[in-house]
Amino acid sequence: MPANPLHDGLRLEPTPGPTTLVIFGASGDLTRRKLLPAIYNLSRRARLPAQFAVIGVARSQMDDEAFRTQFRDSLKEFAGVDAGASELAQSLASRLYYLAGETDDAGVYQRLQARLNEINGAEGVLFYLAIPPTIYGTVIEQLGKSKLSEPPPRGWRRIVIEKPFGTDLDSARALNRLAHEYFDEDQVYRIDHYLGKETVQNLLVFRFGNGMFEPVWNRRYIDHVQITAAETVGVEHRASYYEGAGAVRDMVQNHLMQMLSLVAMEPPTAFTAESVRDRKMDALLAVQPLVASTDGQAAPVANVVRAQYDAGWVNGAEAPAYRAEKDVAPGSMTETYAAVRFNLDNWRWAGVPFYVRTGKRLPKRTTEIAIQFRRPPLEIFRRASQSLLAPNLLIVNVQPDEGISLRFETKLPGTRMQVAPVMMNFRYGTTFGREVPEAYETLLLDAMLGDPTLFARHDFVEASWSLITPVLEAWRGQGGEIPKYEAGEWGPKEADELMAHDGHRWRSL
Amino acid sequence: MSITVEDLLPTGVDVAFSKIVETMALATSQSTGATPMRALVGTVVAVGPADRLAPAAEALSALGNAGTVRGILISQGDLAAPPPRVAGNTVALHGLKPQFLNNAVAALRLSSLPTLVWWRGGSVDALEGLAELADRVVLDDDPPEATWARAVTLFEDTAFSDLRWARLTEWRALMAHFFDIPEVLAAAEAFSRLTIFASDQRVARLFAAWLESSIKFRDGFAVELKGGAPDTPLEEVRLGDRDQELVIRCAAHRTCLETEVSVTGHRSASRLVQLTDQSLGALLTGELKIRARDAAFERALRRLTGVS
Repeated sequence: MPANPLHDGLRLEPTPGPTTLVIFGASGDLTRRKLLPAIYNLSRRARLPAQFAVIGVARSQMDDEAFRTQFRDSLKEFAGVDAGASELAQSLASRLYYLAGETDDAGVYQRLQARLNEINGAEGVLFYLAIPPTIYGTVIEQLGKSKLSEPPPRGWRRIVIEKPFGTDLDSARALNRLAHEYFDEDQVYRIDHYLGKETVQNLLVFRFGNGMFEPVWNRRYIDHVQITAAETVGVEHRASYYEGAGAVRDMVQNHLMQMLSLVAMEPPTAFTAESVRDRKMDALLAVQPLVASTDGQAAPVANVVRAQYDAGWVNGAEAPAYRAEKDVAPGSMTETYAAVRFNLDNWRWAGVPFYVRTGKRLPKRTTEIAIQFRRPPLEIFRRASQSLLAPNLLIVNVQPDEGISLRFETKLPGTRMQVAPVMMNFRYGTTFGREVPEAYETLLLDAMLGDPTLFARHDFVEASWSLITPVLEAWRGQGGEIPKYEAGEWGPKEADELMAHDGHRWRSL
Repeated sequence: MSITVEDLLPTGVDVAFSKIVETMALATSQSTGATPMRALVGTVVAVGPADRLAPAAEALSALGNAGTVRGILISQGDLAAPPPRVAGNTVALHGLKPQFLNNAVAALRLSSLPTLVWWRGGSVDALEGLAELADRVVLDDDPPEATWARAVTLFEDTAFSDLRWARLTEWRALMAHFFDIPEVLAAAEAFSRLTIFASDQRVARLFAAWLESSIKFRDGFAVELKGGAPDTPLEEVRLGDRDQELVIRCAAHRTCLETEVSVTGHRSASRLVQLTDQSLGALLTGELKIRARDAAFERALRRLTGVS
């Protein structure tokens, strides 16, 4: 008989032990838009423990009741829930507390410890850094110095760190060193919300839960891979952050390299955090440097294209140039678009380029991974097709229309032999409905349960920065103007040339 | 007033049996227009008296996030060839002879995808033949005793569940969470009584049978079933002895369950948990996600029916 015989046959997903979630940046945008609705939804799905509390920490002067009001407002605005009419929301609100103070004030951390003791919330504590990256170090250090990072004998302490994790290799290493000074690696959860998306997780199931795809998942059958993360929005209210970041830091170094590693990784031996993350790391280590070494000379960046959006028309309206956006420097050289060719040097992928592109103010909001297969060795239907047969294509739609599509050739009905491509589509929305958890729900729960599978490990972060940092340095040393693309177009001509050089072209989306 | 096949599928069309699948495909492609056709995830066969199939038809059309299924609604009667009626992905056969149930299902179910039989009543003799075709049978009979007794004999061949059992899921989960507390597990040996307040006594008996078949309580352990408020099948469960008690009850608005634990060595703690949608469609959605046999249900039903 198991330790708890009542679990036998019970279709339950695991629930964390007693947990207090401490959110630094509790009055901020991320907390209101994502974290508080995620907590409510986890509660609605009965995934929170009986002993659960939230302590919000921020500079804004608020008391517990004001924080609870913020929680109710957040549910209404971002989850469409009338908290006043929900017993569950009311019950959850009663377990929200607030602590006002500066993150560099040691007194705040003493009061935090006292608050944890007062609400019996010191068993399992998850610190969530929903704060500007510039003060990550301050909070980590204060948590360490106040001993809040040290787990008690029957409890645990974990810390969730939002992206961006560093701004280059040196700063990422420094942040890792600081985190490891006070936390063990298994206490550190570097969040990348793309990894919490249903389709990204499904990529693992698709590849390793089916027997028919893995045998063709290699250089023998795959011609190249395209990963696209396109946004229609501009810089919006994030200019102060984005000016110092740009598309490569904001998207390529984290989200897109995570997706690349999931496509390129070898099969893990088990679905465990270490096995999955080890294999992802192997894939990343196979990626060849993006910048050619030139013995101290200006390094050519042949594998990367950057560009900035100019005025144009997108989403049904005129859009200003990036440099005309609020809080953007008139001569800004920040890239709002990047296209990168990654070459992986291993037995599976040698000679198969991975093209990655991301940009703002592009015609469509879409994120997808497209695997383009090689054409048949002999085109016996050349006369039956109006043009070259379209190569088989496997598309993993990450957002907004999550699903998987397969393109293949078929005979058109009729007496003549005519061939045309068709798509076979699987869509989460139409097949399973829309009730998929938000990425933040999945990741928050995993952090509470102590499952780091979907979080970035320190070595992955550093390895991705070691590929990206030389590009950023090379650009810094370059003069001249940054290439431009019109808002509402699919990037600059240089990105097309990057593909054309290899005889490829970007998918028309 | 007797129910007709038009009542079951008001928007449907009458077709020949041999044209059912073709009509479904045509209706689906026309209704979806240019959008991709929905991927079907399995077949749900609802069997029962006509008056219990009308709500089943509604539930099938509201299966939510379980995915799109081919629905087969069959009421039992004395017709060898009742005229089929098709609406979208659902077909209704009204008044089919019980001995032909399995033949109809064999012809109409989707190949290579799971078949779930939703048994809402009828001749239990037909259950055995249907169970052979099904990957899973979900019982939902009223009264259920005869069906339960037959189902127990079929456990070795087909996975069974019951919608009354599905309604207990959250109650069972909360009781299980109590026993995650080491002090509660240790105290269980001393528990001497289980009191259940329920308007549906069969739900109460199923819960008691599950608990007693899962945990060895002391000799003389007493189960007391009491009436409950009519707006919910199960209202309150109390397990304990004179000094210690675990309580699960419906909260005031019936949308949540609240718990209390009071056991020696463990401080009292209460918890509020959302009661999920208990509609037929939602319960069936849950059942469609399960593939494996449910050993706990089988144990509970064996204990309840006295059949080992």
